[in-house]
Amino acid sequence: MVQNKKQHFIVIDDSKLDCFIAEKIIKNTGKCESVISFQIAKDALAYIKANNTTSTNPTIVLVDIQMPVMNGFQFVEAFEQLPAAVTSKYSIFIISSSINDDDLNRVHNYKSISQFLNKPLTSNNLSLLISKE
Amino acid sequence: MEKIKVLYIDDEQNNLNSFKATFRFDYAILIAATTAQAHTYLQENPDIRIILCDQRMPDKTGVQFFEEIRNEHPEPIRMLITGYTDIESVIEGINRGHIFRYIKKPWTDTDIKSAIEEGNKFYLTNSLLSIKNAELQSAYDELGKFAYSVTHDLRGPLLSVLGALQIAETVDDPDEVKEILGMMGVALTKLDDYITSLHEYYSLKRGKLVYEEIDFNTIVKDVAGLFRIAGSMEQIKFNVEVSQQSAYYSDIVSIKIILNNLFSNAFKYQRKEATDKYVDVKIDVENGNAVIFVKDNGIGIQEEHIDNIFTMFFRATSQDTGSGFGLYNVKDALNKLNGAIEVKSAIGEGTTFKVTIPGRTHGSK
Repeated sequence: MVQNKKQHFIVIDDSKLDCFIAEKIIKNTGKCESVISFQIAKDALAYIKANNTTSTNPTIVLVDIQMPVMNGFQFVEAFEQLPAAVTSKYSIFIISSSINDDDLNRVHNYKSISQFLNKPLTSNNLSLLISKE
Repeated sequence: MEKIKVLYIDDEQNNLNSFKATFRFDYAILIAATTAQAHTYLQENPDIRIILCDQRMPDKTGVQFFEEIRNEHPEPIRMLITGYTDIESVIEGINRGHIFRYIKKPWTDTDIKSAIEEGNKFYLTNSLLSIKNAELQSAYDELGKFAYSVTHDLRGPLLSVLGALQIAETVDDPDEVKEILGMMGVALTKLDDYITSLHEYYSLKRGKLVYEEIDFNTIVKDVAGLFRIAGSMEQIKFNVEVSQQSAYYSDIVSIKIILNNLFSNAFKYQRKEATDKYVDVKIDVENGNAVIFVKDNGIGIQEEHIDNIFTMFFRATSQDTGSGFGLYNVKDALNKLNGAIEVKSAIGEGTTFKVTIPGRTHGSK
């Protein structure tokens, strides 16, 4: 029996439309406590640094790969430099339109990345992900 | 035609002298009495094409010498000269790939000449092949980058639109549907921009330059028209000043690509909150040279990014949509026209591009 716990979400994607889609789908799950999206990865990182979450459930972070200035992998690298007390409160998922093998394989190099999800995000694959958490 | 450069190594000075005397009119001859001297010549003369070496040198054999230099100087064609019937070492040398030919002592002029001519042909084929290989390699590298970007940049907006369609089906509020439609429009515009840039990229890579007379007043009117409308909508002042004193011939497609991308960036990367937004364009054509300034007071480019802005797919900001292709295409067009570009930029103050394009004084016919 899955507990009916509510979850916090962060979406990082340079496309405004993709942020909107993700927010919509997340809200529709009914398992969403809060969702905040960032079009600039650096802003998301600053938010994570500043925001001391007290939630017992890890916050789910959905991050795109190809973004200008700081891409998804650079974001994950910077995130992994944060203290364990912070990083342990987040689960990171890559969400991308990439079908490039290098990108898919690269995901395994980062211990903090839980999974790779294909775009577009759908209620189905999001629910699967939530039930696993 | 430049003479073929030949290095001859022999420990007998008489042989060296007579070799040089015989062939100095036909070839550029370097002579070395020791392998050490030969090493120095090879370092100093990367254009040596043929090396002839005596097999019996005091410190080592010719085969050993060739083996030694082979990694550092792979290009010159190696030939062994031997007065003895050192057939074993010759076979060994040839089998191990060190030697192109062997010449028996005493040599005749014809032996040497035909060996050098044959060697030279082989050298030319090889070096041509390695140039072609390098070109192919760089084309492949670019293709790899390209395939990656195409999957992402073409698929990205399509998947966004698909996702948005699925959501729109479940939404009843007409205002929200309108909002979704608006965002779908942005995604599709991005896709269209990308395809336009692809087309520009391709015409620059494969197209031939056609030099025709260019009147900058007309061309700027063409290109700027689009931006005037956009500019007035976003309240961006657009000042264009063209002064063309002389006839100017260049490739119109390339010039348009350059102007279009620079104008487009100047309009795109404005500070949204600014009230005095402007784009200034100044074009001077004098003595057959065109100097173009495109200046804006927009967001500016961070200093650490300036070196990268001409790199394919590099984007220095998240503001607005961009393919990461524009300035790469500008640079590519300028390379073809022997032009130059300089950029001055300060964060929050704006960016100025200065482009210099030498023109021709007549058409290509």
